[in-house]
Amino acid sequence: MFDIKGYGWLLWKGVQLTVLVGVFSMAIAILLGFVGAWGKLSGSRIARTAAGAYTTIIRGVPELVMILLVYYGVPTLIQDIFDVNIDFNPFAAGIATIGFIYGAFSTEVFRGSYLAVSKGQIEAAKASGMNRILLFRRILLPQMWRFALPGLGNVWMVLIKATALVSVIQLPELMRNADIASRSTRLPFTCYFAASLIYLLLTVVSMSIQQRAEAWANRGIRRA
Amino acid sequence: MKKWGVVVLVAILAVCWVGNASAADAKKKLRIGTEGAYPPFNLVDKSGQVQGFDIDIAKALCKEMGMEYEFKVQDWDGLIPGLLAKKFDVIIASMSITDERKQKVDFSNKYYQTPARFVAKKGTGITVSKEGLKGKKVGVQRATIHENFVRDMFGDAVTIKAYATQDEANMDLVSGRVDLVIADATVLLGGFINTDAGKRFEFVGPSYVDKKWFGDGVGIAVRKGDNDLRQKLNKAIDAIRANGVYQKINAKYFDFDIYGK
Repeated sequence: MFDIKGYGWLLWKGVQLTVLVGVFSMAIAILLGFVGAWGKLSGSRIARTAAGAYTTIIRGVPELVMILLVYYGVPTLIQDIFDVNIDFNPFAAGIATIGFIYGAFSTEVFRGSYLAVSKGQIEAAKASGMNRILLFRRILLPQMWRFALPGLGNVWMVLIKATALVSVIQLPELMRNADIASRSTRLPFTCYFAASLIYLLLTVVSMSIQQRAEAWANRGIRRA
Repeated sequence: MKKWGVVVLVAILAVCWVGNASAADAKKKLRIGTEGAYPPFNLVDKSGQVQGFDIDIAKALCKEMGMEYEFKVQDWDGLIPGLLAKKFDVIIASMSITDERKQKVDFSNKYYQTPARFVAKKGTGITVSKEGLKGKKVGVQRATIHENFVRDMFGDAVTIKAYATQDEANMDLVSGRVDLVIADATVLLGGFINTDAGKRFEFVGPSYVDKKWFGDGVGIAVRKGDNDLRQKLNKAIDAIRANGVYQKINAKYFDFDIYGK
């Protein structure tokens, strides 16, 4: 598609890493979102406090600061105190951090989607003798997906662009490679324009996937 | 819950503040952090390899010290944090020695110091001196060390026109609104003289590296207290300067001496 003086492949490699980091981070974010939402809605005070602290702190600290802290700050601190050498894998550190951050946003999405399921249905399920697991699987989960998907799609789109931040921890993703290519070729407009088109393409593809997922989650629901 | 949050936040921020890693292990392999996006000093070529003046110098230094090397290509913002977190042992990335950076890292002696030079149209026969420049118009980028330099040194002889960017100054040189421009020689070479627009122009006069205006040059950053490594690097820099390796690398990229005095 693009050659850009021979640097096109560099962008392509960047795209691969961007998508990989995005998908893994999103998986972690969804998992943490479930756990967080469970915590926030649980009867246990400790779980509520922990989940509350999680969403408050994470949503309050800029992503870049968080990534720098996890990858550089924590090892530096530990090395200073214990005089050992630790080396985080940048990919693992990157997806863990981004997943952890967007887990906080997904928490709120899932919390909202739980609250959107009508109380009457839950009571009816309990009354008909379903245990908690069956209730969750049969009644809550199918409906929560339906309410959560628009919000999760939103989280995903913000997340995929936030992956540009992992370039500070030695991960050459799309944005970083576009930067390298632009300065090495002295064609900044071409390289950044290509990168922005690629991001746009990723977004368009994501939107069509999201639409299908929503159609699937909405099966059996009559449109008003 | 609020109190809790504050405690955790303070703890996290505290981590941020802790900076200095202690003495490095004397491993044989030198891990070198570089940026890979500052041609011609360091860049990533089409096959994905790091290239450039910094890289060649780094390889020559390692050969001199009898060490293996490994390059870690890294965004500029992550270079000093990465050094402190021991992701690599040195930064060789055209990093200027500044007082601000010296608070966090130690520097070797400079391994280059790009001079400031004047550029004029070929064959004008301008001699660069107070006499020779009398009445000439000089273009310079505003609020740079070069503007300070030209004001202090030639301010009473020349008319100074200050521009927002170096490219604007260069364009006015091409159109004849100024007679000379002054800037970092490598910037002028790569960004002007070696381009189509700059074909009819050349460097005139000497290279200026006076510490008063142009600082301490570019050095190799090491972790604070890593004195063994720093001294080894200093010795190696001296050695490649003495045995001609440095000059060969210099000539590969620039047709003037970029070490300075």
